[in-house]
Amino acid sequence: MTEPLLDIRNLCVDFGPASKPLRVAHNISFTVGAGETVGLVGESGSGKSMTALSVLRLVPEAARLSGEILYGGRDLLALPKRDMPEVRGKEIGMVFQEPMSSLNPVMTIGAQIEEAILLHERMPAAERRKRVIDLLRLVGMPDPEARVNAYPGQFSGGMRQRVMAAIAMACNPRLLIADEPTTALDVTIQAQVLAMMLDIRDRLNSAILLITHDLGVVAEVCERIVVMYAGHVVEDADVHTLFSRPRHPYTQGLLQSVPTLTDTRKRLYQIPGSVPPAGTITQGCPFRARCPKRLDRCAVEMPPMVTQGPSHRAACWATAMEAVA
Amino acid sequence: MSVLVKIENLTKTFADTSMSLGPKRPPVRAVDGVSFEVMKGEALAVVGESGCGKSTLGRLLLHLIQPDSGKIDFEGEDLNAMGSEQIRRMRQRMQMVFQDPFGSLSPRRTIADIIAEPMDAFGLSGTRKERREKVAELLRQVGLPPAYMDRKPRQFSGGQRQRIGIARAISVDPAFIVADEPVSALDVSIQAQIINLMQDLQESKGFSYLFIAHDLAVVRHIADRVAVMYLGRIVELGTKEQIYSAPHHPYTEALLSAAPHPDPSRRTGRIILEGDVPSPTNVPSGCAFRTRCPLAQDRCAKERPALREVEPGRVTACHFAMPHPIANRSTAA
Repeated sequence: MTEPLLDIRNLCVDFGPASKPLRVAHNISFTVGAGETVGLVGESGSGKSMTALSVLRLVPEAARLSGEILYGGRDLLALPKRDMPEVRGKEIGMVFQEPMSSLNPVMTIGAQIEEAILLHERMPAAERRKRVIDLLRLVGMPDPEARVNAYPGQFSGGMRQRVMAAIAMACNPRLLIADEPTTALDVTIQAQVLAMMLDIRDRLNSAILLITHDLGVVAEVCERIVVMYAGHVVEDADVHTLFSRPRHPYTQGLLQSVPTLTDTRKRLYQIPGSVPPAGTITQGCPFRARCPKRLDRCAVEMPPMVTQGPSHRAACWATAMEAVA
Repeated sequence: MSVLVKIENLTKTFADTSMSLGPKRPPVRAVDGVSFEVMKGEALAVVGESGCGKSTLGRLLLHLIQPDSGKIDFEGEDLNAMGSEQIRRMRQRMQMVFQDPFGSLSPRRTIADIIAEPMDAFGLSGTRKERREKVAELLRQVGLPPAYMDRKPRQFSGGQRQRIGIARAISVDPAFIVADEPVSALDVSIQAQIINLMQDLQESKGFSYLFIAHDLAVVRHIADRVAVMYLGRIVELGTKEQIYSAPHHPYTEALLSAAPHPDPSRRTGRIILEGDVPSPTNVPSGCAFRTRCPLAQDRCAKERPALREVEPGRVTACHFAMPHPIANRSTAA
C-alpha cells in the first residue's frame, strides 16, 4: 500500500491547565490518500473542526496539540512555526463555512487570489493575471475576465464560496480542507458548489477532506467517511459500507434519524438524550449514555478501533463482541 | 376539514428606510399575491430558499407586520377589520416557534417565567401555585423534567431550548402555530426528537401548523401539504404525496433533485440550476423563475403564469407545467 498523503496519528487537542486539561479531541487517527475524498462527519462538539484546524495548526493559541500529523511523511506538529505558512496554501488549501468573514471587503477578488499566488510563487504580473482568470474559470465563475475586478460584496454567497475555492486552489495544493463549505448556502447553490469541488478534484487530482454535519452531502461526494462523536473517532469506512452496514450504534442511530425525501416512516427514529459538553466524559465510551447496546465495560474503558472488514473500523465494545461471536 | 386560516392575494413590500447616504435601494416585494388556506388540524409547510419571502409570510399571518394589500381570515374573521383589543385576544389563538427561541428573551429570567409569559399576558396563569403546576405540566408534555423550571436558559442545550420554546407556544392552547425553521439550527440527532415531539403534540391537541423550512426532507415528515415559494410567489402547492412523487413545477423538481440524499448508491441524475436567485429588488418580468428555468421560452418573459389547478388539490404556476416523476429516487427504505 502506498503511503497516505495525510496520516493523523493519535492527535489530542487540549485546552486549559495541563494539570486539569479539557480534552476536545482524543487520540484521533485516520488517513487521507492522494486524490481521495474523505468526509469527516459529526455533530456540534464532535471535535471535527478542531481536528481539521490542527492539520494547518490554525487552532486557538490556548490549544495544546499532541500526537503526529504526517503530511507527505513530514510531521506537521514537529515543524517550526515559521515553516507553517509554506505548508498552508501551497501544500494544503482551506475553504471555510462563511466566505464573507474570510474575504477582504475592500480588495478586489482578483487581488486577493493574486495575493495567495504571490505568497508562494514568483512570476511576471501578466502571467499571474492569467492564472487568476484561469482559477476563476476553474471554480465556475461566469465571465471571469470582468468579475476579477469586482469586490466580495458584489457576489452572492455561492459565488463567494467559489472565490474562496479559487484562493485555496491558487497554488495547486495536493490537499483541500473544506470546513462546512456549503452549510450557509441554499440547496440549489449547495449543489453547484459541491459539483465544483468534485470537478476540481477530478481535474487537479487533489485530495479533499470535507468536514460536515450533513450526511446527505458526504453520501453525494465522499469516497470514505470518518465519523466523530464527542471528540473521538467512532467509525471509519468507505462510503458504501458506512451507509449500508454501519457498525457503531451512534452511526446506526444517526443514519436512521435523518429525514429523507423518500422514506415513508410515520415517525423518525430518535437517539435519546443530547451530545455531552466537551470534557464532561473523561472515562469510557462517550456515547454510552445514549447507546441502546451499552455494556458495563463501556463505562470504564474507551473501546479501541476494531477492524470490521476491509477498510472498515469501529470503536464499540458491543460491536467487537458481535464480531467475535 | 374546515378552514382555519384563509389568505387572499397577500402582498408585502419593504421600502429602503435606512439612513445611509447615497441612493435608496428599490423596494423589495417580499410577498407577492399569495393565497392559500390552512385547514384545522393540518400542517402546511412553506418551503423555499433564502429571500423567497417565507418568513415574511409567517409574520403576516400572525399579524406581526401589516400587509400592503390582501386579506387574512382567521377562524372566519377578517384580521384587517379587527380593532387592537380584538387582535390582542386573537393572539392567544396563534403562537410562534422560532429557530432560536431564546434569541429575544432575557437570559436572567427563569424557564418558568419564559414559559408562562403568554399565560401571564392573557391572564390565564391563575395563582402562583396554579402557575407552577401549569408550567410543570407543560414541561412534562415537551419531555423535560418539571424541576427545570427554576433554571436559567443558558443551562440548556439547543434541543432543550427548542422544547422550552414549544412549551411556551402551546401554553395558551392555540389553534394555529407558525414554526419558522424550528429545527434547522439543531444537530441531526436532536432534529428527529423535535420533529417527533411537534408531530405528537399536534396529534394530541389538534392545532394547525404553518411550518416554514428550507429542508425538504424535514418537511416531508411533518407536512400534510406543501407550498413552494420562489421570489415572493407560490409556484406550486399540493399534498405531500403530489409534491414529492411528481412535482409539476420545474423549480420544485430542481429543489427536490438538488437536496443531497443520504444514500451513496443514488448519486446520479441531479439537476443543477444555473446562476443565483435573482435579487428580490429586481424580479424578472413574467415568470420570476424563467432566468434559471430549463423550460423557459419567450412567453415566460411576457406573461406571468397564474396559479392554476392541474389536478385536484394541486396548483402550479407554470405555462409548461407537467408531471416530473422522481424516477431515480425510489420510495424504498
